[in-house]
Amino acid sequence: MKIVVTVKLVPDPNAEKRIDPGTKRLVRTGVETVLNPYDEYALEAALQLKERIGGDTTVTVFTMAPESLKETLRKALAMGADDAVLLSDAGLEGSDVWATSYAMSRALKEIGFDLLLVGGLSDDGSTGATPGALAEYLGLPCITNARKVDVVDGGLQVERETDNGYQIVHGKLPSLLTTALTFGEPRYASLKGIMGAKKKPIAAMTLAQLGLDQPVGTAGSKTELLNVAPPPVRGKGQVVEATDGTNGAKVIFDFLKEKKLV
Amino acid sequence: MKDVIVFVQHKNGQTPKVTFEMATEARKLADQLGGKAHAVVVGAGSSQLADQLKSYPLDVIYINDDADVDGFLLDPIVDYLEAAAKGVGPSLVLIPNTLLGKDVAGRLVARLGAGLGADVTGFTIENGKVDCISPKMGGAAITTCALKPSDYGIATVRPNAFAAAPGGAGAAITPLEKPAGKTYAVKVEKDVEEGSGEIALEEAATVVSGGRGLGGPEAFETLLKPLAHALGGAVGASRAAADAGWVPYSLQIGQTGKTVSPNLYIAVGISGAIQHKVGMRSSGTIVAINKDGQSAIAEFSDLTVVGDAFQIVPELTKLIEAAKA
Repeated sequence: MKIVVTVKLVPDPNAEKRIDPGTKRLVRTGVETVLNPYDEYALEAALQLKERIGGDTTVTVFTMAPESLKETLRKALAMGADDAVLLSDAGLEGSDVWATSYAMSRALKEIGFDLLLVGGLSDDGSTGATPGALAEYLGLPCITNARKVDVVDGGLQVERETDNGYQIVHGKLPSLLTTALTFGEPRYASLKGIMGAKKKPIAAMTLAQLGLDQPVGTAGSKTELLNVAPPPVRGKGQVVEATDGTNGAKVIFDFLKEKKLV
Repeated sequence: MKDVIVFVQHKNGQTPKVTFEMATEARKLADQLGGKAHAVVVGAGSSQLADQLKSYPLDVIYINDDADVDGFLLDPIVDYLEAAAKGVGPSLVLIPNTLLGKDVAGRLVARLGAGLGADVTGFTIENGKVDCISPKMGGAAITTCALKPSDYGIATVRPNAFAAAPGGAGAAITPLEKPAGKTYAVKVEKDVEEGSGEIALEEAATVVSGGRGLGGPEAFETLLKPLAHALGGAVGASRAAADAGWVPYSLQIGQTGKTVSPNLYIAVGISGAIQHKVGMRSSGTIVAINKDGQSAIAEFSDLTVVGDAFQIVPELTKLIEAAKA
């Protein structure tokens, strides 16, 4: 079975981010680019399935990113993916959800797979809509927010998170699956994995290979980013030392009353 | 884009508050676009919910009680919405920014070849052009994104960002025909509801949240729950508390958890790491109770009371209960 996992390379979620009011861009200084944390869960799911199914099951990682971020992809290989495909093209810059999923779907068709695993959300764009759009373009059933996945009789049995609880659903292969953060912590790359990743192949792909019918990138996108602004400043408020519980409670109560919150 | 269509997420007729927020906003947007405001309600319980929705300022509510909507994953909903959008004509589709909503929105992006504004907290419309305002990167940036002129546009709407107000003359309820010749790929075997009866975190007007400083799961029951109930709110937690197994992950607020923007956020024993901050920084008023006045949370709280939460919280609950009585 061939499993493909799509990953995104994003600014480090644990870094405090700031928008430069002049350039309206993210201040990149001191902010590392990392694997989107949500995608690490999808990769974990793929690696677990590979271990469980065995045989000739392989895990390929796919990403759409500038060539310069190629080395960041090694982390996925170090975690245990067998190989990677990197779609890089200046023509992809500024792609929105529509353009991204359309271009990705064509690349993924080229690569081929039995199961496609996708992270539930990207930490930077965070629309959460790419997996659904991708499934449509690939004509695949789409099962999102999986916390438990089993391949049973050639089909899929999935336990998935919903807004009010959980569901158990039955699907088939091929399908597109996204993982929830309750799937289980992604593994750490072992030293052996890190060493081995250096030799694993990362294939390059460009837009020209995909023969798209419609333009992507900024020009082809259905949306246009007009403005990026820093959030309203949230200044430091009062800090009050409570003399005891009753005093502390009174300070808060009076404050809430003044704000008409009680 | 001329008309506005609201996708109504519900289970057996029970719908989150964001539905009414969207119905109210849809009217305003439709008026500015010179079109009508519609809603689509499908699945078991649609008729009763449509009756409830009639008191909001919509023009037409399309319904179908089709059991397949609940028996299969997502596909029927997407088919109905596509059919409704194509029936109505050029329109802006509003979808709640929930787990289900994000899935629906993604599928419709491809079906309608539409642009998407995600996690929208405000709209501006000028000469028929729709701009969406959304916080990105955990609220570190506020973006304005235009839906380019096109027949269809989609927006996922953040709960608690728009006001809900009943009004209007009463919408017409019209059956929506089941799209023919569709097959559904994923069967729902079991659908389990958890935590019913509690106010959903994302919807709560007040959130009382606990962290590592509470020292264990007991304080969530004995301290936070009574305070949250007194304030008519919900209980949340930091990642540290969820990781420690004190509360289920469904209560976790932050980067890898839920994003909330209540009117009032009370953080008890939470240090205020970036992981937590991004999930709650857009709250109206933030109050922190912490034994360390130097902790990060004080930097972005409107009021930080330095003291023992175990002493302060029960007294605060009493004061609030007394004020209500």
